[in-house]
Amino acid sequence: MTDSENAEPAENNENNERDGSGAANARVPLHERRRPWWHWGRLAGSRLRLAVIIGVAGAVVGALLGGAGVAWRAGAGPFADDRACWGAFGEDDVAALFDGKRDIKTSEVPITTDRIGSQGPSGTCRLTSPRGRRITVQAHQLDTGFGGAGDRWADEFLSARLTPLGDGLLGMASDTRAWLAVPDGCIGRPSRLDVSGGPTVIDMETGWTVYDDDVDTKARDALARAVVKLVNRYMADEGCTGRIADPVRRMPEPPRFLVEKKDGMCGVKGLRLPSTYQHEGRHRPLLTRGDGPVRTCDRGVLFDHPGLRLMTIEDPRLAVLYDRLSRDGAKEPVRTGAHGEQDGYGFIRDDMGLFQAECQTGQVTFLVRADDGEHPDDIRALLPRYVAAEADRVGCGPLRVTLPAEG
Amino acid sequence: MKQLMGGARRRTALVGGAVVVLVAAGLGTWATDTWPFDGKDTYCWGAWKEDSGPGFLSRKALDEDNASRTSKETAPTPRRQRGQCTVSLHSERVGSDGDQIVAETKITVTYGPAPEGAGQRLEWIDGYLGDRAMPLPDGLPGATDGKQALLVLPEGCDTRDGRPTAVTLDTVARTVYSDTTMSADAGLGGSQSVARLLVAVANRAMEKAGCAPAEPLEAVSPMTTLPEEDESFFTRACRIRGLEFGKEGRDLEYQVGAVTRDFQSCSVRTQRGDGRYFDALMVAQPRFSALLDGVTGTKAPARGWRGTGVFADDYKVVRADCAGRPLTVLMLAPSLHETTPYFTAFANAVARRVGCAPIAPGGSSR
Repeated sequence: MTDSENAEPAENNENNERDGSGAANARVPLHERRRPWWHWGRLAGSRLRLAVIIGVAGAVVGALLGGAGVAWRAGAGPFADDRACWGAFGEDDVAALFDGKRDIKTSEVPITTDRIGSQGPSGTCRLTSPRGRRITVQAHQLDTGFGGAGDRWADEFLSARLTPLGDGLLGMASDTRAWLAVPDGCIGRPSRLDVSGGPTVIDMETGWTVYDDDVDTKARDALARAVVKLVNRYMADEGCTGRIADPVRRMPEPPRFLVEKKDGMCGVKGLRLPSTYQHEGRHRPLLTRGDGPVRTCDRGVLFDHPGLRLMTIEDPRLAVLYDRLSRDGAKEPVRTGAHGEQDGYGFIRDDMGLFQAECQTGQVTFLVRADDGEHPDDIRALLPRYVAAEADRVGCGPLRVTLPAEG
Repeated sequence: MKQLMGGARRRTALVGGAVVVLVAAGLGTWATDTWPFDGKDTYCWGAWKEDSGPGFLSRKALDEDNASRTSKETAPTPRRQRGQCTVSLHSERVGSDGDQIVAETKITVTYGPAPEGAGQRLEWIDGYLGDRAMPLPDGLPGATDGKQALLVLPEGCDTRDGRPTAVTLDTVARTVYSDTTMSADAGLGGSQSVARLLVAVANRAMEKAGCAPAEPLEAVSPMTTLPEEDESFFTRACRIRGLEFGKEGRDLEYQVGAVTRDFQSCSVRTQRGDGRYFDALMVAQPRFSALLDGVTGTKAPARGWRGTGVFADDYKVVRADCAGRPLTVLMLAPSLHETTPYFTAFANAVARRVGCAPIAPGGSSR
């Protein structure tokens, strides 16, 4: 039964074949007439034409495939990569930084390392909206010589307006600034033995604001997420495993102006507020919220520059920024009790006092700095008490510093 | 004849079809870099796959020098909460002077509770948390230095008498020459890679033992690395007040390990011969603490000490409450030197750092 059914079409085929060869000289062979109009045999007419058609069609298909392949590999044409900032941001990520606007232009300098590697990796990316808002993204290694880029970096990026990203990450964010260090497992940990041993960070800046204590939480969260995306992408490009998770859910609310008690300057118990800074208004203090790596208390901020800053840097990877300064910042070194240099280094000047302590966790920076040298007595009064109180808080106590005699 | 021709045609069609399918499949495998019959081996209860990352699992490791990779494993079961697997690499070559050079690497993963005896258990935990070990990422109760690793498993895997089960990883890697033996790199790929290997094998072992949590464990975040190398020629060890060594410090070196709220390590050893002077360790992470349950006895180790503890010949251990959780300090030291003052200083300095009342007599609180 099955056999006969199968045999029948084969027989038909055979018939066709025979018919075809029998009518070979006819103008339109019978078997061709039976074929539909689109059959290659009818369209081509002869073997030569068929060969030509196949050749041309093959070349065209080949060219298309090849072109598409090249475009795909090169990321051009329909395969163009519209990811911004070294491939870290998709279109939605950029829109999230510009209130959902999608007409953002981007330009970038790739992240590269100079020939001898002395400056660490660096690169820049700028996102610009046609309405004039712009965001500058920088990848760079912080300089240990000058508090990280001539103090300006520390002024802006360690400001009390920024909130730590938490979970041991070396990074912070506000609505105008965000930064995050590339994890040390990826490109090596900063060391004070290094010439330029600061951490390598990616930071973002969106301009400045006069609303000192009014940080837009939504904008801050967007920047925090963005800076994590940048670092994750950089790590992936460097071939490092590990991914930093979205930091936003564990970040505390942005800071508000602090209500100070007279003997609780910057929320530090027992630290008396000098009379110079007692008047209200411009000198209201803003204090970092959340746990480490930095606790900054800024007051009188003008163009991102604080009138008076009290800062503790708990994370040794960041405290390294003040290592060199603490050893050669002034002619008057600060001393500690019986063990002398073993507890750390520091100095006092008319405009600032610094102590770089050797704690169990590593170096910790304690800094008191005014924007002018007009109140040297205040600096002298503040430094020892600030160091003592903060050292206890971060687990580095007891730490008593003695100042050189006035002269 | 007719039948034959028909068969040939059909065969052509079939062959053509097969070729098309094969080419498409080949393109697919080439494009996605997958291959269904790769013949790759798996190790440690299927948790690790050949060529899946670190050097010791790579095909390349077998390319030369009569190299072979072997493995042995005993899986834990719901009845038997112990297991072990070993992956060994062995290669032989002839050196330029005609001598035979043998390279051996052995990675051992152990699933089970900590050793029973107090002294053994302290050595065991110091081996994984001491020296250069750093905490595992994502809050996992574990640590690794890139060669060894420990992970304490969730409560669901605790033994019937309430002891935690741990997964440990140990490495031996050496090159044996005719006249000497040198330690070598095991090809584990660093701490981050070890963290992933450990978590992968822990997840698989928990499945086998029937105590896997609803969500598998994960080590995704980057690990922090140790800030420093060992230091020699010092007077104060590990930046801890009271660990002062005067002239003695010239022949010693110290290594600061992890310094976190969960654990802290400081080891001092002789520069020559790597002899131990002392290993000091603080443990406060609750799951690590649980590993040490029972080693501190029931009473204070000496007058003036807070909590419970034991001062034995070659170890000292004390546990006291610290802000609502038990904090254990221990010191392992051969009884050649008097180390009690160092232990006292370490206990109080560490307690003060994490914000607790002094543990040893004579300390002051914040």
